[in-house]
Amino acid sequence: MTMKIRFYILSLLLLQAGIFNIAFCQNTSTNSGGQIVTVQPKIMVIPYTKEGEDLRTVLENDENKRIAIAKIKEGFDSRGFTTVDFIAKLKAAKDNNLFTSENQSDLKSQIIQMSGADVYVQAEVIVEKGQSGNSVKLILTAFEASTGNSLSNKVGESGKFYTDDFNKLASKAVESCIEDFLSVMQIKFTDIVNNGKSVIVDVSFDAGSQYKMSSEIGSDGLPLSDQIEMWMEKNAFKNNYHIQGTTDLRMIFDDVRIPLKDQATGNNYNPNKFALELFKFFKGLGLQPAKDIKSSTIYLTIK
Amino acid sequence: MRTKKNICSFAALILVFIFNSCSTSKSLPSGEVNYLSSNDGAITMRAIGIGNNESEAITDAIYNAFDVLLFRGLPESEQKNALVGTNENEERGKHKDYFEGFYKGRYKSFVMSSIPSSDLIKYNGGKKGIAVDVKINTVALRKDLEQNDIIRKFGF
Repeated sequence: MTMKIRFYILSLLLLQAGIFNIAFCQNTSTNSGGQIVTVQPKIMVIPYTKEGEDLRTVLENDENKRIAIAKIKEGFDSRGFTTVDFIAKLKAAKDNNLFTSENQSDLKSQIIQMSGADVYVQAEVIVEKGQSGNSVKLILTAFEASTGNSLSNKVGESGKFYTDDFNKLASKAVESCIEDFLSVMQIKFTDIVNNGKSVIVDVSFDAGSQYKMSSEIGSDGLPLSDQIEMWMEKNAFKNNYHIQGTTDLRMIFDDVRIPLKDQATGNNYNPNKFALELFKFFKGLGLQPAKDIKSSTIYLTIK
Repeated sequence: MRTKKNICSFAALILVFIFNSCSTSKSLPSGEVNYLSSNDGAITMRAIGIGNNESEAITDAIYNAFDVLLFRGLPESEQKNALVGTNENEERGKHKDYFEGFYKGRYKSFVMSSIPSSDLIKYNGGKKGIAVDVKINTVALRKDLEQNDIIRKFGF
């Protein structure tokens, strides 16, 4: 090989390495040296509201609710966990004129969507006045925002006291149950770490699609719904998935477990990466899918 | 004559029985731990400890209090669930170094107070028991367990 050819090959290799670096490698200013930190769930504490109640006025007019929320957040802080501030989000939403009085009933879900919270903790404060003393009861419930899976439920009580200081009673009610509430939540989180995070997979067809769930496709000519289930069986974390229902036009998996960490690389894993795998699977079957991901719900529409 | 002998031995048996029941020696209790109160990150428990002397019995009571918090959970308190896990043999095996150091002396830094709440009781076999009110700093204990990777921090 002449010197000239060697020089060309070397230049080409260097150029290729440079392009690869630009395209895929981590920026030196953000390189952590391979250190991976687990992405934590976003948790938001919100007050309970009855249907049709205005969340803003409920919170602004009731200081007991505000105190209860502050105390609950304090409980999370004491465990070294930062929550999403509901009041700040509410103010931001107000500033952005996100809410109108016509869509009150959907206010809570709008805030949750806007905040990007994975888990929300709902606090219901009940004030009881009686001749044998006053008390405050608190119902705390924690849900996964996307799936609605319950994470922890506790009822706290202040006990009866001859006092009108309901703020103090609200604090006492929170103190009576917050540790236990957080412990149960942590047990559920540990279960998620060990058994995977829950996502919903919704497979449907575009209006003009020539396919149905009963269409026999692929090299083995099996119905599409069976092909999807076989894929799920292989790819759901620890083979853990649940089918809500299948019709000829739709298939819904209401609980598919995906790992928190990529089992091969150790990097953080998320619904988007799982959706990509599903996308590739449909492509492999010769279909034209479109994917849409909203929090932990994956929508796949076959064209 | 024979009936008299029988009556005598029966009476002797009854006397032995009465003597035994009046004796101060009792059978050994288990390491009982009961919740007393809690306040802002500290839990007070009444624990029974057994030992050859008062000092040993108090130490045993404190060990029992920690064992319940770490491996059983304390009903009626804010720490109903075990801090570490209910399979203590497995947990102790997994984190041998930590628990060896802990029970050798580190546990003392989490004890806020340990006040005997009963007189020393003598049990069968020369052992002595005592009830102790043990107050433990649960916030610091949990943080220590988290920092040493014995338990997970809150979250994933």
